[in-house]
Amino acid sequence: MSADKLIDVRNLNVTFKGEEGPVYAVSDVSFDLAAGETLALLGESGCGKSVTMKSLMRLHPAHKTRIEGQINIDGVDLLSMRPAALSAMRGKTVSMVFQEPMLAFDPVYTVGDQIIESVMRHEGFSRTDARKRALEMLERVRIPSAAKRLDAYPHEMSGGMRQRAMIALALACKPKILLADEPTTALDATEQIQVLLLLKELQRELGMSMIFVTHDVGVAIEVADRTAVMYAGRVIEEGPVDDVLSNPWHPYTQGLLGATVHPGMDRKAALPAIIGSPPQLTRQITECAFAPRCRYRTDECMNPMPAAYQADSRAVRCIHALAEV
Amino acid sequence: MTALLRVQDLKKYFPVGKDLLGRPTQVVQAVDGVSFTVEKGRTLGIVGESGCGKSTTARLLMHLIEPDEGRISIRGKEFGNISGRHPVAELRRQMQMVFQDSYASLNPRLTIEDSIAFGPQIHGVSEREARQQARELLEKVGLNPNIFVRRYPHELSGGQRQRVNIARALAIKPEIVLLDEAVSALDKSVQAQVLNLLSDLKKEFGLTYLFISHDLNVVQYISDDVMVMYLGQVVESGPVEQLYQNPAHPYTRALLSSVPSQTPSERKQHKVLEGDPPNPIAPPSGCRFHPRCEHAKAICSAEQPETTKVSGLHQAACFMLPANPSHEKYIQLQEVSA
Repeated sequence: MSADKLIDVRNLNVTFKGEEGPVYAVSDVSFDLAAGETLALLGESGCGKSVTMKSLMRLHPAHKTRIEGQINIDGVDLLSMRPAALSAMRGKTVSMVFQEPMLAFDPVYTVGDQIIESVMRHEGFSRTDARKRALEMLERVRIPSAAKRLDAYPHEMSGGMRQRAMIALALACKPKILLADEPTTALDATEQIQVLLLLKELQRELGMSMIFVTHDVGVAIEVADRTAVMYAGRVIEEGPVDDVLSNPWHPYTQGLLGATVHPGMDRKAALPAIIGSPPQLTRQITECAFAPRCRYRTDECMNPMPAAYQADSRAVRCIHALAEV
Repeated sequence: MTALLRVQDLKKYFPVGKDLLGRPTQVVQAVDGVSFTVEKGRTLGIVGESGCGKSTTARLLMHLIEPDEGRISIRGKEFGNISGRHPVAELRRQMQMVFQDSYASLNPRLTIEDSIAFGPQIHGVSEREARQQARELLEKVGLNPNIFVRRYPHELSGGQRQRVNIARALAIKPEIVLLDEAVSALDKSVQAQVLNLLSDLKKEFGLTYLFISHDLNVVQYISDDVMVMYLGQVVESGPVEQLYQNPAHPYTRALLSSVPSQTPSERKQHKVLEGDPPNPIAPPSGCRFHPRCEHAKAICSAEQPETTKVSGLHQAACFMLPANPSHEKYIQLQEVSA
């Protein structure tokens, strides 16, 4: 692993033990993240983007989950970490924001208390100093009358404000890496753009790296330097966001972009939809999982999935894309 | 052309909190004086953010909740629960609704066929005929009737369930279909399939749509006309091209500017709206948008702007429009510095 990689994931497999047999949620996923960089994990429901993300914090219940592969975070092997080390890392080295802030906050403590607790614990601050930091954070995420909001309970805030308070909590200990799991999906358009621009600004100021999970092509374009597109538990294409999303190589990425409504489309013409729906992950899929929906499908697609083909700092897993590149 | 659906001055205030005598202490002005018309065969898109009253408007139209005031008429026939008006059951025969939550809108104990055939039977169609129709409709929405008639909602994917909900809405043979965030919960690849289906059905059955959504790109694609709502009121409306290319109301401009570009080469500078949406219990005086508006002057907090013409059928409620009677007064005032 090179020294400038803050996160290095190699051949990650995540399998859940379901009541009706295993679910192969993430298969053979590899990616890395450099300091100061933003990576967007892009994909539709059930593609494994959130599962991948939660693995980076080891948030999956251990008795129900099998994680294989390698995850190195800031030079430390995450999968062999002991609980105490893990808990020191969460919030300090890596922090996370979620789609639903009500789930991240404890409803019976004030927002200020929850930020203060985190700062006292990770930074060893006194309560007075921690309160100062909490106030500073609320001001930084532009919560109006921040001093008053410090003593507010989560339910007393509007959705957009709560989302910003969660960002303040996540960033209070100045983590090196922020994991953002669809943090703006539940927000309205005008609030979404406020939060996206705020996150970018804070990232610059704090010199953080970010991984951003999203299903929205527009959000990926807005925040990310690079993107990894996921389908059925695998990363099928990866590279600089501008290259991948303006000239996609994988048929799924092409299909997803074509099916996404965007301005300037011919309103008279039918949308180029992708036929069918994604596969169930109750079977370990060795071949290309997109093949049944793919218009380039040939018999060779049923052979085991090829390793990623790399060119021009991009990677793609499709035998037909290789022929074209 | 005469309007198929005409809505005049629709109002709904929800009481919140009660005093000792059970009188409401506060009201939420969820829908406050909404008027519009829809011509046959057109699609009216209704956009706005949470709490703007777009879904309440849809529910008022269907009489799922009773309007406090206002008139709803289809082909000049007025409907409602007031004497002299036509009964609500008849209204619902002409207007049907598809909701965002495809699972919650289907009875989990009924098969797909039973769900689709239920409505027509209420409206007097024989069971045999209703079942036959259900099979035909399943075919029309792209689900093989031989596979799907006996299935239950939980056995279907989100996209398939939404197709069933569309089939069920069409089973009554309505003229108007209200689509309330009907494709919002679907993944993009599935959403495109359902949007195509909606276009095909519209042509085949000569339908008229009211398409409610927070997704401005989808609304632009599917609508002929668009109406923008803010805090229970319509701030701007007009033909889709004019409204998207030349938005007149500062709120519409901010809303359109906040949409991330879908193409890397068209990344744009966003105009960020400051502040949170205000509380609908105590909406701002005058123009409800004025506390967040960069062009606000004293008149904006004092008076409510009339809806006036921008050009053609495009209209908006803002003092900045030259056609507004108080425009001269607005021009002469000093900017209120934020």
